[in-house]
Amino acid sequence: MEFTREIYWNVGHGFTTLAPMYGLLLVALAVFALGFLKRIKVYRLGQPLDRTDQRGERIKHMLENVLLQTKVARVPGAGTAHSLFFWSFVVLFIGTTLIVAQADFTDLLFNVKFLKGTFYQLFSLTLDLAGLVAVVMLGALLTRRYLIRPEGLVTKTDDALMHGLLFAILLTGFLIEGARMAVTEMGTPLAGWSPVGLAVAKMLGGLDEAGLRSLHVGLWWLHLVLALGFIAVIPYSKFRHIVTTSANAFLADRGPTGKLTTVNLEDETIEKFGASELSDLRWKDIFDADACTLCKRCQDRCPAFNTGKPLSPMQLVNQIGEVAFANPQANLIETIGRDAIWACTTCRACQDICPASIEHVNKIIELRRNLVLMEGEFPGEEVMAAMEQTEVNGNPLGMGYASRGDWAEALGVKPLADDPEVDVLYFVGCYASFDKRNIAVAKSFVKLCQAAGVKIGILGKEEKCCGEPMRKMGNEYLYQTLAMETVELIKGYGVKKIVATCPHCFNTLNKDYRDFDFEVEVVPHAVFLEQLVASGQLALKPEAFACTYHDSCYLGRHNDIYDAPRALIRAAGGRISEMAQNRDQAFCCSAGGGRIMAEENIGERINVKRVEMAIATGVEQLLSNCPFCLTMFEDGVKGANAEEQLRPKDIAEILAERV
Amino acid sequence: MNILICIKQVPDMESKFKINGEGNWYDRADLAWRMNEYDEYAVEQAVRLKEQVKDADLTVLCIGPDQVTETMKKALAMGCDRGVHIADADSYKREPIEIASMIAGFAKDKNFDVIFTGMQSQDRGSAQVGVMVAELLGIAAVTTIVGFAYDNGTINVKRELEGGSKALVTTTTPVVLTCQLGLNTPRYPTLPNIMKAKKKELLTLAADAGSVGSRQETAAFYFPEKKGGGIVLEGDAAELADKLIHLLKEKTGVLA
Repeated sequence: MEFTREIYWNVGHGFTTLAPMYGLLLVALAVFALGFLKRIKVYRLGQPLDRTDQRGERIKHMLENVLLQTKVARVPGAGTAHSLFFWSFVVLFIGTTLIVAQADFTDLLFNVKFLKGTFYQLFSLTLDLAGLVAVVMLGALLTRRYLIRPEGLVTKTDDALMHGLLFAILLTGFLIEGARMAVTEMGTPLAGWSPVGLAVAKMLGGLDEAGLRSLHVGLWWLHLVLALGFIAVIPYSKFRHIVTTSANAFLADRGPTGKLTTVNLEDETIEKFGASELSDLRWKDIFDADACTLCKRCQDRCPAFNTGKPLSPMQLVNQIGEVAFANPQANLIETIGRDAIWACTTCRACQDICPASIEHVNKIIELRRNLVLMEGEFPGEEVMAAMEQTEVNGNPLGMGYASRGDWAEALGVKPLADDPEVDVLYFVGCYASFDKRNIAVAKSFVKLCQAAGVKIGILGKEEKCCGEPMRKMGNEYLYQTLAMETVELIKGYGVKKIVATCPHCFNTLNKDYRDFDFEVEVVPHAVFLEQLVASGQLALKPEAFACTYHDSCYLGRHNDIYDAPRALIRAAGGRISEMAQNRDQAFCCSAGGGRIMAEENIGERINVKRVEMAIATGVEQLLSNCPFCLTMFEDGVKGANAEEQLRPKDIAEILAERV
Repeated sequence: MNILICIKQVPDMESKFKINGEGNWYDRADLAWRMNEYDEYAVEQAVRLKEQVKDADLTVLCIGPDQVTETMKKALAMGCDRGVHIADADSYKREPIEIASMIAGFAKDKNFDVIFTGMQSQDRGSAQVGVMVAELLGIAAVTTIVGFAYDNGTINVKRELEGGSKALVTTTTPVVLTCQLGLNTPRYPTLPNIMKAKKKELLTLAADAGSVGSRQETAAFYFPEKKGGGIVLEGDAAELADKLIHLLKEKTGVLA
């Protein structure tokens, strides 16, 4: 016998079937289009922004993210279930499309049938199994959402609608198949190629043919209405993420990672800075809210949220969405709340893990810019004082600027003003210049450079803060003043290469300063030293030790540098016991986003929490690569009463002990 | 309402101070400059008064070399309406009566209702300029205010006195008020105001101390003599106790 089946069996292939079917399809598509047209109007309340450049790259990124589920599958469990459900649904969709293609086009118009023979056998089996996978995964997701109920998971009516509708579509699909098979395929070799359908057919064995046929035709129309209803309801429910999240992968920020927009402060027509209302944001910021699936991955990783602060990146994104669709005139800052806005450490944990390409951090910075530039508001007086200190002395610590280079005097490292002939400029940063604990790191770095025969120079008292903490706190004006001075200064010396021991300085010089016609190569010390070690220029005397390593946010998530520091530690004889949250999942030290200048007054202390994670590894040394991290950990070991148990150190210090 | 605010540019107190060549003041090299802290309270209070009465004109006045205009811009960005810079490269040598005479010389025909200034400067710290201005203009002065309220021509201020006690003083305009820490928290200028400040009137006048000559001379200028210092003892408890006993025996008469 020929392996195939009659399409439209029992339903009929005449005008009475096709007319209502395609009529309903048109209605569904119209409702679908109307829903999105309405939403597009709301997206357009935002400021313009070009996200259609680099189309090739964008399309590639979107296909990877959607078809391969790359970001969704990063989180095992729910992510795996979603991916499997998605793939099985795609298979079912392709199957249905093939049926339509043959029955209503190739067969109808040209008498060509392709759903036959071996192809049909495989087709039948594939679809049958895809349906099974879809049902099982949906069941798993339903169990998770309604029975396990993970903490923080927001469940709304939308979720019930989605689960209900998808289950009904899959279930009616199997019942239709079962009823048809019970009448036409029982005892034939074909039945085995639809194992689930066969099982359903056997369950329906008690019905006679007439009963089966009327059940079949009834369910066929129900299945059709449900499937078309699903299409129609997409823009009006969380199903919209099928479109918006996919589109957002295309519209995603193409980098450089974490780089903020530079405000044109010369433009005198700009009267308002930052965002306090919806119309101050860009359309993508509104679209992001529609792309959010409330998966809470951002919230699960947010250091502020996880230490009892009133910031949830997920909630913030959705509050913007609620304002956009319900009350576009509302004040965003009042809606979101100042404490939430100030709590962000810009660690990028939210944005990095987000499977929907949402940009959380720049929204927060826009809100901060409004508070600082338009209202002169800060999270506390200590932050305002740090800003003023930076204006006066070029550092947030309030130390006299003229003593900035004092630490290097006895080491034979000269300011470029005295000797500009150097291999590299060491951009020291405020903490390594003034803070006693971090001066030790600067000295270690100098020792390593000298051991490797690299001649370094510093800017000395001419160096000022790179402006990173101020910028992240919203003070774009102060940042730009500092940036422009520093760019001019460094360019004046004809520097070829810069090394920074602070990832915040590195990131700012290497990304943010590029907007000011700055092209000098900038390298973080971990990478610079790793190259020296790898090339043999820096010879180490390895000595075994155990440690754990903390990925700073600005070397890690902001710059994807995870391996060089680990290679250095191993080269020094280190055995790393990783913390549970490492690499791109690392938990912030609390000091990013300008929070180094602020008191942490709400909830638990982030740095203590991170120190406790390090203690849990059972080793005695916590290595990092950032002066902010080091400062917070020195403070954190005191807070955790672990001064005897855990010693925080910079990688440079460990290396300097081994040359 | 016509308001004058007298401010001074001073070095940041965290700076590395050195004595100048003449040996009569600090050297200007390697110093970071800012508005005298107490004058910031004066500017802030004046701006708040303007915000309250709406119809007011704030003139900020500063005496010194050209670089003081940088500090004046901050006062303009905080909300002063116009600036008057009395150019005087030798202002650091002037004694309080000379500075007060310059201010009074400028203010005498301007009918200022209120003159705000700091209770003293962070560098010279004479605390005399404000009261001398009032005396020269023949108007009232209330010093070291930590509270201020204005209501329809009547001014109620709180003064800080010795020993933590406070005095409540009621006065009318015209009056000179010198401001003390605790009066307010000076605002951080907003960006639009910083931009606007760049376009505000900033008049530079030549210094004229009038007939008042200097009557004082700086005899010497020096850092306080270093007397002793702290010692941090390190080691375990027994060791520390031994070291302490040794020190007490050697350097003091406590155990004698």
